[in-house]
Amino acid sequence: MGEPGTQQIIRMFERISLAINSEKGRLSELDGAIGDADHGITMARGFSAVTKRLSGSNCETLSPSEILRIAASTFLDAVGASTGPLYATAFTDAAQALSGKDRLAVQEQADLIAAFSSGIKRRGKGERGDKTMLDAWVPAAEAALRARARDATAVEMWQDILSAAETGCESTKSMVAARGRALRLGERSLGHIDPGAASAVVIIAAMKDTFADS
Amino acid sequence: MVDQNTSPRKTTGTKGDAVEVAAPMPLRFGDDPYVWACWLYYEDGRTQSDIAQIMGISRATVNTYLADARDRGIVNISLEPERLGSLLLAKELKRHFGLNDCLVVPSDDGARPLIDRLGAAGGQALSRMIRSGDTLAVAWGRTVMAIAEHTSASVQDVTVVQATGGTRANFAYTPEHCAAALARAVKGRLVNITAPALVNSRQARDIIMQEPLVEDQFEVLQQANKALFGIASLRPNSTIHTSGFFESVAIQEYLSKNAVGVVAGRFLDGQGTPVKGPLDERTIGIDLDTLKAIDMRIAVAGGYDKVPAILAALRGGYVTILITDAATGSAILSAEDVRPNVTRPLRTRSQDEVAQPLRTRNFVKKFLNDADEVVEEMLEGLIEAHSSHLSPINGSQRALMARNGPRPGKVGLVIGGGSGHEPCFFGYVGQGLADAVAVGNVFSSPPPGPILECARAASGGEGVLFVYGNYAGDVMNFEMAAEMAQVEGIKVRTVLTTDDIASSSLEDREGRRGVAGNFFIFKIAGAACDRGLNLYECEAMTRHANDRTFTMGVALESCSLPQTRRPSFDIGPDDIEIGMGIHGERGVIRQELAPADAIVDRIMDQIFVEMKPAKGDSVAVLVNSFGGTPLMELYIIYRRVRQRLAARGVRIEANWIGHYCTSLDMVGASISIMHLDNQLTELLRHPCDGVAINIA
Repeated sequence: MGEPGTQQIIRMFERISLAINSEKGRLSELDGAIGDADHGITMARGFSAVTKRLSGSNCETLSPSEILRIAASTFLDAVGASTGPLYATAFTDAAQALSGKDRLAVQEQADLIAAFSSGIKRRGKGERGDKTMLDAWVPAAEAALRARARDATAVEMWQDILSAAETGCESTKSMVAARGRALRLGERSLGHIDPGAASAVVIIAAMKDTFADS
Repeated sequence: MVDQNTSPRKTTGTKGDAVEVAAPMPLRFGDDPYVWACWLYYEDGRTQSDIAQIMGISRATVNTYLADARDRGIVNISLEPERLGSLLLAKELKRHFGLNDCLVVPSDDGARPLIDRLGAAGGQALSRMIRSGDTLAVAWGRTVMAIAEHTSASVQDVTVVQATGGTRANFAYTPEHCAAALARAVKGRLVNITAPALVNSRQARDIIMQEPLVEDQFEVLQQANKALFGIASLRPNSTIHTSGFFESVAIQEYLSKNAVGVVAGRFLDGQGTPVKGPLDERTIGIDLDTLKAIDMRIAVAGGYDKVPAILAALRGGYVTILITDAATGSAILSAEDVRPNVTRPLRTRSQDEVAQPLRTRNFVKKFLNDADEVVEEMLEGLIEAHSSHLSPINGSQRALMARNGPRPGKVGLVIGGGSGHEPCFFGYVGQGLADAVAVGNVFSSPPPGPILECARAASGGEGVLFVYGNYAGDVMNFEMAAEMAQVEGIKVRTVLTTDDIASSSLEDREGRRGVAGNFFIFKIAGAACDRGLNLYECEAMTRHANDRTFTMGVALESCSLPQTRRPSFDIGPDDIEIGMGIHGERGVIRQELAPADAIVDRIMDQIFVEMKPAKGDSVAVLVNSFGGTPLMELYIIYRRVRQRLAARGVRIEANWIGHYCTSLDMVGASISIMHLDNQLTELLRHPCDGVAINIA
């Protein structure tokens, strides 16, 4: 736990990028069922751009908050689409939440998840139940805040977060999309997992590996 | 009874011989008495005793023949698939949710609004179910009002009681209006709840509820033995939000507690459990327990947006009789993982046969070097090819400006979107058109960076107008860019194009997506800017063009992304997707391939429903290929479009036929019609010079 926050955040992005890259095909396939089949490609492009940028020389000297800001603008420029602004806002809000912090204890890790969730919600103007990535992020954030309230350890907290996100993701199967392109499918979006929720689970699992195993 | 001329019977033979066949069997029946009997019965419409005479056999034998013929599959009785489908759905919904009854309205071509169809079905059902002496509790809403309009029953001594208090809100289907209309329809006694549905405090409610007058009214409500109500969705744009009946702050609170629907003014979560919230104690009206105690509870509701809400009402056991439409009914069942095979009930095509599009081949062939570089390489070629029209802004290929575009004193026009739609969007940049275009990745909005570059380049001091298709991604990125531009002192106004009439119902017009009709909307916006109108006039004119542009597309085959080189979706060998968008998203309805004219007719019917052209009106027509459909077929389509317009007495002012807004290699086409008026005609004729459109 002694690792400085900056390195943790950089490593978090590396792990996310690796995980998304290996799940790229599955995510695009999920998207093909209800969208335009490029979700995996888009996410992979965004996170590789971020890790590439963060592997630059001077990043280790920056604060976690500054790293998140760089990630936000890099992700946004690389992606566009709807995931660009959504995750860029998530990272920006997290940067704000972690401003002035150098180390990320359980408290800050919970803040990080909560800020991701609220940033996405703010930008997408969405709700839980719309069959979007929020169906994974909102329960994840709630689990984080609950865990923090009862002084859980990092390992416990991340287990809760991941399982809440997985349950939330699974629940999108029985939802009719209310946002994004799948909205136009009407009832045909039923029975399919939302690809945005699925990639959120991949990201959260990579975050768990970063914070709960160190 | 028996017509001698068409009958194969020969009655002149002797009857004395007890042979089975009295008349020679016509050759076409190939010696099969079963087929003959069936022919006479089903095709000629003879009675069984006629047939016994004709064939010279006993009636009992005829009867056996007919029964065996069905067992042996010589005869298939088929109901019209749509009708059968809704019967099966109704049966399945009834079984799955333990309803007392269920009525499913067949899907139709969408010519009649859903609310009317539900109203007609609900009215018919209610007219049959209402009995003399009943007390009917009636909630409020558009559906309930539509039912009242279609109800007429000759019953006596019916009491109709309003199920909730009244409202100050001003719309045609308030609780008071709904109860009154139903009371009229059944010639019953009307009991209003003469109190507001929502009061300011719990104390106020308690005081009002103790008023003898209100007490009496609630006494009647308690006695209700039948209830009629709609089910409200909490989705954005639903009546709950727009009617002003509830306070929106309060709705937000219920939403945050996972409420998904409203029944008789009470909020339910996805499982049908009541959600507690700030309005509960301030509401005057039937409570959910009282509702549940009523014997017959008729709910009438339809529409995809209502699926979670209807599910909630069903799961919570608030409904004993459900009236809905086929599309919604099947959505409800698939949400419950119940899948009755209703789409093609009488066909025995196996699943394998259906799922055999291009799958057999693994990759679609494309001209590629590096799939990750398609957009950059395309732009390199494109910028060279069209250097007379376009130039990169500050060396960026992702932001291009018109050579003769921006000028001081003119409103700047910025358009943009994902790649893969070529010649969208760069083809609509040039003099009299857009000043700059932002280019995104394949089917992905450009990020705010290049959009901001475009806004700066297009700005001539009079503000900048953003015009782009209504997609979540584009909206977010363009909005972020607009905010950044405003910070730099560039005034930005935005018009979202929403011409795709298949993408959402008329009630949710602003939720529709923008497709090939962009062509007309960009043209009009460009002309308005070029003529020196101010920013607000340009915006208003562009909105006007958008309001009068109607598009619908059909896909025959899926497109494939350069990155995957696989079809984005499976489509059966005989299937087409109606309502296809321009991103390879699946359409809204899938049906069997039909002749070109029939497909065009289906689209034109839908367009006419919305456009409502009068004789003598003029229009501009765009027949657009999605990429894979050749000009030959586009002209076949145009031919029919023209015939349909001519039959309505509508004149075609101008037409464009070709690749104007594509979806990579998708096979399919769309028809866009702009309903012209004098202003639009003038702006359409305004000279312009772009890669994809040129008017001298």
